[in-house]
Amino acid sequence: MGVLELWTEIWPELLDALLASLKLALGALALGLALGLLLALARLRGQGPLWRATGIYIEVFRGTPALIQLFIIYFGLAAVGITFSSLQAAIIGLGLNAAAYLAEIFRAGIQAVPRGQSEAALAIGMNRTQVMAWIVLPQAARIVLAPVGNVAISLLKDTSVASLIAAPDLMLRAQDLSSQYFQPLQIYLIAGGIYFLVCFPLSWLVRAVEPKR
Amino acid sequence: MTDAASLSRLAALLPDILRTLLWGAGATLMLTAASFALAATLGFVLALMRRSDWLPVRAVARAYLELFRNVPILTQLFILYFGLARIGITLPATVAAILGFGLNGAAILSEVFRSSINAVDRGQHEAALAIGMTPGRSFRSIILPQAFPIALPSTGSFLIGLLKDTSLASAAAVPELAFRARMLVSETYLTTEIYLTVAVIYLFLSLPIARFVRWAERRSVPHRAT
Repeated sequence: MGVLELWTEIWPELLDALLASLKLALGALALGLALGLLLALARLRGQGPLWRATGIYIEVFRGTPALIQLFIIYFGLAAVGITFSSLQAAIIGLGLNAAAYLAEIFRAGIQAVPRGQSEAALAIGMNRTQVMAWIVLPQAARIVLAPVGNVAISLLKDTSVASLIAAPDLMLRAQDLSSQYFQPLQIYLIAGGIYFLVCFPLSWLVRAVEPKR
Repeated sequence: MTDAASLSRLAALLPDILRTLLWGAGATLMLTAASFALAATLGFVLALMRRSDWLPVRAVARAYLELFRNVPILTQLFILYFGLARIGITLPATVAAILGFGLNGAAILSEVFRSSINAVDRGQHEAALAIGMTPGRSFRSIILPQAFPIALPSTGSFLIGLLKDTSLASAAAVPELAFRARMLVSETYLTTEIYLTVAVIYLFLSLPIARFVRWAERRSVPHRAT
């Protein structure tokens, strides 16, 4: 069976699986962005128990493989009675993992906003929350746009790892199809091609929004 | 409680489990080192290709970079291990993994090396030529020694990523740390205990590299400022 013949036969399935991967990536990204921002804000409050706890969180999640994190959340927690579906476990695992990277990106982005901005805002009578929400975060958002884009692309590629806990994604479907058609080379090449067709324009886009030096 | 029962079982099995996991950690380190050697060598060649005067050479290196960094490493491993086996090229799992991580890492490192070389002030090269060095001599003795410290932090981050990514080789049954853990779990059902222990081992392997990266970063900052 040629690549084209095979492609016409399996493309609806792979397209469907790509959508599942995108959903998984978006879910994990949403969790990662929310938790990452909270972690960054907690770290910016300065030294203390919270600072140490968030530091440990970041080191642990960045220092261990995403695969092991998924295994702990999916198999490990199930063994102590906390069960998630593989999709839930994948969103939680990849989201918690992304949060560790995003926290550092947000912290650096917030610190890159000139101090004078928040001093001026305080001087005109805003409180600290208003300063953060209306003055600092909007400017930090522009700074972190490109690095956050890179995390999003990594996240999309990392959804393939979730296939190892049988979460529904492109890579899992590719594994099913390749045992069904016994054409692993062609099917994995097609799967790789699909990832490329999504990730390449995205990384091009990220480079376009990168501030020129 | 089952907790107490599982604890006593864990205590009985602990020496065996730890021995197996430590062997796995050794294999992980060797897999990481071999992949890194391949990635750094090929990455350096690709970085040189990106500096070529000849457009096709630059284009090939650029295409390689985009191709490898926009496809998940797991997909690349599956193509090399399961895919190639289908057409009669059967690589031992460890070889396929080293090849996969090496080829993938070469793309990432080529970009690190290229930008580090570009970050060295042009005047350095011009001055070297002015005192009579050949372009090759200037590149080797003037540019590269200055590009090296600039490349250190990113190369260190890559190395940590690589160490963690080698866990994916467990999907191709390479007997490294994650694979040994999966085998142990299926034998003992001490799921939580074993995976948590494995996480701690990875942490202990990656923290020294992370420390080194931070140290190198602090050292290279004044370097970049001048």
